[in-house]
Amino acid sequence: MIHGRRAQLSPIAHLGEAALRFVGDTGAMFLFLLEAGARIFSSLGQFRKMVRQTYFIGVKSLSVITLIGLFTGMVIGLQMHYALAKFGAEGFLGAAVALSLVRELGPVLTAIMITGRAGSSMTAEIGVMRISEQVDALRVMDINPIGYLVSPKLAASIICFPILTAFFDLVGMAGGYLTGVLLLGGNGGTYTYRIQAYMKMSDVSGGFIKSLVFAVVVCTVCCFMGYYTHTRRDAVGPEAVSQATTAGVVTSCILILLSDYILTSLLF
Amino acid sequence: MVQDKTPDIRLEALTIGYGKTAVVSDIDATLPGGKISVILGGSGCGKSTLLKHILMLQPALAGRILIGEHDLNTLDRRGMHCLRQRMGVLFQDGALLGSLSLGDNVALPLREHTRLDEKTIRERVLAKLALVGLDEFHDYYPNELSGGMRKRAGLARGMVMDPPLLFCDEPTSGLDPVTAAELDQLLLELKRSFDMTMVVVSHDLDSMRTIADHVLVLGDGRVLFDGKREELEATTDEYLRRFLDRQAAVRTSPRLTMPALDFKVMKRDCSKYLGEG
Repeated sequence: MIHGRRAQLSPIAHLGEAALRFVGDTGAMFLFLLEAGARIFSSLGQFRKMVRQTYFIGVKSLSVITLIGLFTGMVIGLQMHYALAKFGAEGFLGAAVALSLVRELGPVLTAIMITGRAGSSMTAEIGVMRISEQVDALRVMDINPIGYLVSPKLAASIICFPILTAFFDLVGMAGGYLTGVLLLGGNGGTYTYRIQAYMKMSDVSGGFIKSLVFAVVVCTVCCFMGYYTHTRRDAVGPEAVSQATTAGVVTSCILILLSDYILTSLLF
Repeated sequence: MVQDKTPDIRLEALTIGYGKTAVVSDIDATLPGGKISVILGGSGCGKSTLLKHILMLQPALAGRILIGEHDLNTLDRRGMHCLRQRMGVLFQDGALLGSLSLGDNVALPLREHTRLDEKTIRERVLAKLALVGLDEFHDYYPNELSGGMRKRAGLARGMVMDPPLLFCDEPTSGLDPVTAAELDQLLLELKRSFDMTMVVVSHDLDSMRTIADHVLVLGDGRVLFDGKREELEATTDEYLRRFLDRQAAVRTSPRLTMPALDFKVMKRDCSKYLGEG
């Protein structure tokens, strides 16, 4: 009887345990973010590390952002042109491309691209350092590992995400021009004029606010997963690093889309 | 913070472990100041765990650790910072930061905790690297060095703040006998030159016999021996004698009573290569 009752309660107990773990992890992640944020300007040496991280996250992501931005803009240009042509409204192609890029696709796709390229390497780097005792070495040298490893990455992400988003938007608009105007014969002047006429400052600032939020989310989640690699229950050693990297990327992508929905309903 | 030049480390009713699981219970021992203490024991007996507790990387399950007069349980944040800055640690594989050159690795504590200018830092770093015979490898990265060199570099980093306390986790593990003996000599030289308290975690008996002044032996979840090396060598305790004389425990392994694997069960027929044919 007791055994049967236990078995009956087991799924509820599991659910409760998962809920407690979720709450605990969320709280720990928030404290992790606070500590990383507080240590951004802790010393002059941080600036040098920040510059190095800005190069890694920003400059080295430019090629992939250019490529994805260009093709995204081209595809939107193509699809929108056919859709608008049905209503005889091809002239609004520029506005349609620009607004969908600046308000939605630019920040989201840029964040997802950077998560795949830089976020995964943040998790793997910190995870490897954790399992090879390098994080412990920092602690016994009285160097705060979060300040040393995470804060420069957080600062660099906050700098890079909006810039890369702006770059993505511009390249995307050029991609839309390429298909809508050069390939399908639309009017170039109308394309650029409509962008200017229909784009408001709130669209641009909303996109930037989104990219800033995504920067904090991606960096915090990826670094947190790497930092606590050694506490994973599903694996140990190198396998734990790979699991942490996967978890970091997947969780970041989910949180990007979730926070995008919340921000869109609040901002626009 | 550490007032004594060479402080004692006292372990009082200490229980160590992970989470709620105790690995070694009721440790009462003093690792004397100015001496080399070796924490000895078989694999998995809790040597490295004890070191992690002394290094404040894990809290004690029960009891207390005193470094000089300072109880690590009640030490405030400032005290912990000060104490850590006066400790040198050599980790098992050196634990050098892979993204920094050897010089930058050794310079790291100086850059973080002192107001020295770059010229002085470089001089001190080169001096410490010369001490371990690696001054020519200043610009090399850790992955370009052998295991022995990484350990010596880790030692240089541990020594760069001239700490009164030096901790080494398995300094000779994975090294060939010559390199291991060289590292032992280096530790003795450092102790002679800098007058420090050293704690070395090891299961290498040759190394223990070369460097130890004081020995703490762990096993079966408790302290088996705490005293001078000479006393350990003269012990009549059966387990310790077997350990010191490298005698295996007598047991019948079930594996050895099994018949050898028949090559015919192998998925790939390799009999013509290794004699079965």
